[in-house]
Amino acid sequence: MNEIIAKKSQRSSWQVTKSVWWALFVREVLHRTMSDRLGWFWLFFQPIMIILVMVSVRYYIMGNVKSIAGAEFIPWLMVGLITFQMFRETMMRAMGAVEANRQLFSYRQVKPIDPVLVRCFIEGQLNSFILIMFILTGLLIEIYLVPNDTLGALSAWASLWLFGIGCGLILSVSNVIFPETAKVIPVTMMPLFLISGVIFPLNFVPQELIEYLLYNPLLHGIEITRSFFFENYQPIKGVSYSYFYLWLIGLLSVGLMLHIRFEKRLKIL
Amino acid sequence: MIKIENLYKRYHTHTVSDWILHDINLTIPQNISVGLIGRNGAGKSTLLRLIGGMDSPDKGKITRECSVSWPIGLGGGFQPSMTGRQNVKFVARVHGYQDELDDVIEKVQTFAEIGNYFDEPIRTYSSGMRARLAFGLSLAFDFDVYLSDEATSVGDEHFKKKATAAFKERVGKSSIIIVSHTVAILKDLCDAGVYIEQGRAYWFDDINDALKTYQEAS
Repeated sequence: MNEIIAKKSQRSSWQVTKSVWWALFVREVLHRTMSDRLGWFWLFFQPIMIILVMVSVRYYIMGNVKSIAGAEFIPWLMVGLITFQMFRETMMRAMGAVEANRQLFSYRQVKPIDPVLVRCFIEGQLNSFILIMFILTGLLIEIYLVPNDTLGALSAWASLWLFGIGCGLILSVSNVIFPETAKVIPVTMMPLFLISGVIFPLNFVPQELIEYLLYNPLLHGIEITRSFFFENYQPIKGVSYSYFYLWLIGLLSVGLMLHIRFEKRLKIL
Repeated sequence: MIKIENLYKRYHTHTVSDWILHDINLTIPQNISVGLIGRNGAGKSTLLRLIGGMDSPDKGKITRECSVSWPIGLGGGFQPSMTGRQNVKFVARVHGYQDELDDVIEKVQTFAEIGNYFDEPIRTYSSGMRARLAFGLSLAFDFDVYLSDEATSVGDEHFKKKATAAFKERVGKSSIIIVSHTVAILKDLCDAGVYIEQGRAYWFDDINDALKTYQEAS
């Protein structure tokens, strides 16, 4: 018995963190899958349906698709949609993480950043699984989604996931300090969706306008992802790796710093 | 041993920002059970939360040279939408008892005696059931010091007896720091007392002296 006591009281910080992440992970997955009827089914079905509906609305109803240099339209659209959705879901789930797990800060082992990171991890896994599903199903119905440069596509996918984590870290703090965040952010999603070139190719937008659109790092990220998926794809002129990655590093650093600075504020019940 | 040095704490609201705890210096020795007493709003629960590491002091520091539980209380600590079992598993995992999960669950179930409610969401529990679960859960781990915030006050006689017995069984191995207004419980469980008044803490080696001072003041 004494041995056990000694073992538990001398856990290193990393051991404590690992067990907290594991506990939160199990809790979160259980919550996501068990709280609704057929929760596990909706978990996958809902994002897949959103993408399919968007594709059919864009393709069959709005029609009038201009050709895209170096890529088929539907695969082009799907890569953009799935990538954007992964970014958005990671960010949005992370945003509410501190608020939703407030009760658990009673245990001093649990820091406010832990539920945020765990939720981001789950969203990353879930959306990667969905992407693979789409690629495999695409093969059967001849919508060719297999990336041309697999390693590059993986790194771009991971970068956009990290981009979502960066935004999520910042918003999860902001959501506690300014509760209005949860109202404002969803509203900005639709315009962001449009100006990131997810459903409308921006090749035909006048150059003067593109200059301003290029301030949006997400546009860079999505164009970079596409350029790894399609061999001959021509990203919009002005897309820059360093611009996107500087934003990425900036967001992650600011997010982590905010969590250090406001840890006490976030823990107050 | 728990050492509190020059501890200051306040909460900022729009109108009030006075110190709730003002320059607290205490050393709580190993194996000495302590009762925290004082009027409502004196800062007893705040001090307990600070000792438990749920909250951090504005100035000063707390050194914990032993394993300390979370503050076991009426509210907090449970996710209302999850079942008792899921909550118990979560807390066990957080404390590094992944390999002893079944053991912990059995101990909690035996102590809490809430029957089939163990697999119902916490939000369906009465406050008594919640307290029994919280108490049973904390007893499943081997802490050196248990922190209790009125947790024993809502239970029925049977539960109170059981809780007291569980603690007496542990005398010598672990101790308790308890916030309570029930004189009988304090006298029964505690050796020493801390009387908190106007942000200051006064240590008494005998809980009876602390209670006497408190009663004379009010």
